[in-house]
Amino acid sequence: MIWAKEETFTRAEMEELQLARLKEQVTWAYEKVEAYRSKMEEAGLRPEHIQSLADLKKLPFTVKKDFRDHYPYGLFAVPVDDMVRIHASSGTTGKPTVVGYTKEDMENWTETVTRVAALGGATSHDIAQICFGYGMFTGALGLHYGLENMGAAVAPTSSGNTQKQIMYMKDFGTTLLVATPSYALHIGEVARQMGLDPQKDLKVKIGLFGGEGMTEPMRQEMYKLWGEDFKATQNYGMSELNGPGLSGECLALCGMHISEDHFIPEVINPETGEVLPPGEKGELVITCLTKKGLPMIRYRTRDITRLFYEPCKCGRTTCRMENLSGRSDDMLIIRGVNVFPSQIEEVLLRIPEIGPHYEIIVERINHLDTMSIKVELVDESLLESYGKLNDLAKRVRGNLKSVLGLDAEIKLVAPGTLKRFEGKAKRVTDLRKELGLNC
Amino acid sequence: MVKQLSVFVENEVGSLAKVTRVLRENNISIRAIASFDSPEFGILRLIVDKTGEAKRVLTENNFIVKLTDVLAIELVDKPGELDRVMWILADAKLEINYIYSFVLRGHKEPLMIINLDRMEEAEKVLLQNQINVTTKLMEE
Repeated sequence: MIWAKEETFTRAEMEELQLARLKEQVTWAYEKVEAYRSKMEEAGLRPEHIQSLADLKKLPFTVKKDFRDHYPYGLFAVPVDDMVRIHASSGTTGKPTVVGYTKEDMENWTETVTRVAALGGATSHDIAQICFGYGMFTGALGLHYGLENMGAAVAPTSSGNTQKQIMYMKDFGTTLLVATPSYALHIGEVARQMGLDPQKDLKVKIGLFGGEGMTEPMRQEMYKLWGEDFKATQNYGMSELNGPGLSGECLALCGMHISEDHFIPEVINPETGEVLPPGEKGELVITCLTKKGLPMIRYRTRDITRLFYEPCKCGRTTCRMENLSGRSDDMLIIRGVNVFPSQIEEVLLRIPEIGPHYEIIVERINHLDTMSIKVELVDESLLESYGKLNDLAKRVRGNLKSVLGLDAEIKLVAPGTLKRFEGKAKRVTDLRKELGLNC
Repeated sequence: MVKQLSVFVENEVGSLAKVTRVLRENNISIRAIASFDSPEFGILRLIVDKTGEAKRVLTENNFIVKLTDVLAIELVDKPGELDRVMWILADAKLEINYIYSFVLRGHKEPLMIINLDRMEEAEKVLLQNQINVTTKLMEE
């Protein structure tokens, strides 16, 4: 089901609406937010200089640091009194990123999340269990409002206490699961340990995944666990851009549709800031067209993707972004080789003898970067001989070497021994960072 | 032939103890055990009194376990006995993967556990040479 008429606009209709909204939004930000005004003045720009969508690239970028510099309310365009919701993302370094929503912002946010739910196959008949942690994280409440708006029955079970989650899932007849992909796999594993067959004893048929990327092999794991007809889609967003609802995969699984009437996407070269043509890979930059409380103009997401404008098989005409190759922040540089943890995951998940969980440790030993990866052995037939186990470790190492040009030491561990995650998985430990100077 | 349990163990402090604890808690008795030094991980091989149950409880405790066939060979307790067996297999061009011996035999004769790629052939050739290959361990 296509939720909104804007999702099938012609390119001309969409661009007309985008331009009208962009002009209004730039003027609003310029007038109401000192930080935007001073940046534009520095660049010699005034709102009336924006006369076409092509003028967008003249505007300065907004970055995460701007939130920190204007903590907590400095980027707000309205008094906090006019806000009806405040969220914050946990800052691992420095202060958290604080975001606020007016009543109108909440309506727009809810609308875009409802589209994401519809993209993933949800309907008003679904019983939705939200296994994202509630609280300051935007994921849980975002999906909560969107699914409620659609008319689904929403159970806010939050994350954690997996056995109880499964009890609810079974007793409520849950049909739709909202979780991080790693938690969804964990729930399935625990259900099996409890003697349940997720495909027969549970009714979950739809998974709306977010909070972290889902690689293709991970999606295959979902089918194995939850059934071949399971609808496993992922969606994308971040609190600076409302939260979830920016984009989501449709059932054709050809990338994530962006709600372009609310967000203009661009892809730039992260080094030079230059805008790249459709189809080229670079950093995603988003301009919000309807955010009143906290305008966001050319926000650098740090996420790497490509954009495609061809109409989709699903009937929608909105721009699609490719599933993420990774956050530019997450990129590891190992002895000069650039690698995203998601690429390592792709290689690992294609090897059936090992499980879907892994742990990467990067250290510097004698001034050389070394990487070791722990993987869980799941194929008992290799216990025939030490040689077979050793061959498996060699094969994992060889595949990483040939696909990524990366040399890593492989440690096989027993199944169930690596850490499971209820929220975003943290699978990389970079011990090199802790050695650096703190300045 | 008898069944042996092969359990994946990591090369770290306490990894064998974790296995033996599960067996103790389930009142399973070890008849023979072997583990060899290996750098990262190893395979612990066990012969126990209740094989099926041991596999089940170890699997429930997140161990990865495989059942494999091995030959249990009864020897006479006198010098040269093992040598005789080894030459029977060597002369038949049968390659041994590993060998270990039994823990406790009371008044019975010593028992060796061996694994080879061509198990049936080995069993046959040993029997032809009047070496007793037993199958009775599991019923003890």
